[in-house]
Amino acid sequence: MGAQYLDTGWIAEAFTAMLVLFVLFNIWRAENAGKTGKEVYIRRIPGLNAIDEAVGRATEMGRPVIMVPGLPDYVDAIVVQAMNIFTYVTRIAARFSNPILVCCYNASVFTVAQEMIRDVYQQEGAIERYDQDSVRFISDRQFAFAAGVSGLILREQAAATFFLGNFYAESLILAETANSVGAIQVASSTQNTQTPFFIAACDYVLIGDEFYAASAYLTRQPVLVGSLVGQDWAKISVITMVLLGLLTTSIQIQGKTEMEKVASGPSKGTFAHVQVLSNPADPKSPMVDGPPRQMTVADTFMYRMLNPLPRDIKFHDEKAGTFERPQKPATNPATAAGGGQ
Amino acid sequence: MMDLLAQATPPSDSSPFWSAPNGSSHLVIGIGAALLLGIGLIFLLLQAPVRSRRWIVALFTFLAGGYYVLYFFWPTAIDRQPNDLPRNPMEGVTFWISDAFPIVSTFTNVLAGFLLGLGIYSLWRVHGRRIVKQQKDWFFSFVLLASSVMMAFIGYADWHSRQGLNGPLLANKANWHPINYAFDFFFEGGLQQMDAAMFSIIAFFILSAAYRAFRIRSVEATVLLATALVVILSLMGVITNAWQSGINHLGGPDAFVQNFSLDTIRTWLTNTVQTPSIRGIDFGIGIGSLAMGLRLWLSLERTGS
Repeated sequence: MGAQYLDTGWIAEAFTAMLVLFVLFNIWRAENAGKTGKEVYIRRIPGLNAIDEAVGRATEMGRPVIMVPGLPDYVDAIVVQAMNIFTYVTRIAARFSNPILVCCYNASVFTVAQEMIRDVYQQEGAIERYDQDSVRFISDRQFAFAAGVSGLILREQAAATFFLGNFYAESLILAETANSVGAIQVASSTQNTQTPFFIAACDYVLIGDEFYAASAYLTRQPVLVGSLVGQDWAKISVITMVLLGLLTTSIQIQGKTEMEKVASGPSKGTFAHVQVLSNPADPKSPMVDGPPRQMTVADTFMYRMLNPLPRDIKFHDEKAGTFERPQKPATNPATAAGGGQ
Repeated sequence: MMDLLAQATPPSDSSPFWSAPNGSSHLVIGIGAALLLGIGLIFLLLQAPVRSRRWIVALFTFLAGGYYVLYFFWPTAIDRQPNDLPRNPMEGVTFWISDAFPIVSTFTNVLAGFLLGLGIYSLWRVHGRRIVKQQKDWFFSFVLLASSVMMAFIGYADWHSRQGLNGPLLANKANWHPINYAFDFFFEGGLQQMDAAMFSIIAFFILSAAYRAFRIRSVEATVLLATALVVILSLMGVITNAWQSGINHLGGPDAFVQNFSLDTIRTWLTNTVQTPSIRGIDFGIGIGSLAMGLRLWLSLERTGS
């Protein structure tokens, strides 16, 4: 028995392309909303109302706002998203001369955060209030970081904390510590396993893609708003596909069928359900339980993309998916090895 | 003498210049040239008009992002052997992408290495100032800085002692030098244990958070409490046995009431209620990430404004 290959066909690529088109088209739509007079609408997210409240409370109490952009390994899209929200928080804090602290787990995030926070103070005309130590690198070890941030929350008696980004097991340590000093907490984790902990310990939680919607709502930039609407279109498509899948799998196919390659006609080369009969010449003959035909490597969409002209392909073993390729000239036996991943 | 340019990856003929033999002039010249080139490029970028600077950064972002887009979407070569050559241009691109990956990843690591220096500088500035000004708890800052210097030294010395022909001998504790014992004491005996201690604190925090979450304050909290209770009870052998006995009294193995065993209810809750909800959230996060990545790749994002 050779290897069995999973083939999603062209649908995966087409679906990704569709999502990209939705996002780009809606960004274009939002950018041109002024010309067409059709504003793109997005609804209010309750967790975001809490941001102004939390910063206002911190100002009244004269205590700092602590922000943590998760525990990423490098600057990724999630960190950028978290920093977008933090720049909004910092802007309000800068207006009210409220102290802030951004705690970073990763050195590259630290440098990006430092630049972004300084830019916000500069834009607000309050660069003299910018404290270079308000953005800190704590540690790049998970629990050393948790201990460091918990210590800061306790020592500084934070009035508000924002935990937005990728959090793991330390999420509850941070949230419960902040809860113990009575801080208002707004949190969101892109790790589903941590969201329940935040829900249990924090005042407001942005669940799932609300995290990505936050900066669009707060800044109202056409690019962000358009992108958000594109995301919603994509979600509607996903829901439609789920419903279609539900429908198709709910309809029972009568009799035993197998996936067979179509030999002729417009669908030539694709796979289709066919009934398996004991006597193929007699359509009324009983169906049999034969061994299912396995999809080989040569049948997969990816393989066909790689080999648009399959006439030169010679297999060692088609079922096992091993085939012949031209070889590098072996000039030096010591250097001939290497290359393949 | 300790070779300060020792590397973790042994060089080979096909390696780039930064994998040249330790201490070789080739390596030193290569590093110097790359450094000068980097400084020169940054200087040129700073000299460029502000408007065009944005386009230059966008171009580099697009090229770097484009590589990873290709890496994820271009088909992977099937059954590639070390000496294989591509059979057609499509496969040629595949080979190029997979061969370039280690080099592109190295660029990322080098950049992260430079930035780590900035992070450590921030740490030293904050805690150094606290020590100099003798602020509250300055002694803890001293411990932090002393520990970081000590671990950097001991860690490197330990790693270096494990390089070369005698390295494998150190798998046996009898062959250890004092520096290996020192590393084991501070890293395995100190840092790892403190990590584990912090991790175990979560158990207590879960208890206090669960207490607050399960208080009946609203309909949602009551539903949460009820479902959590079923799941918790279904994992307790004594309770499930007692419950199952009760159900068996009510009906035989094919009776409708058998659907209400704790295991069945828990399985239904996790498979029918929990898993689809999590998948729904995952879809949202995935689509959000895709849109965010697209905005960053095409430099459409205006951060901080």
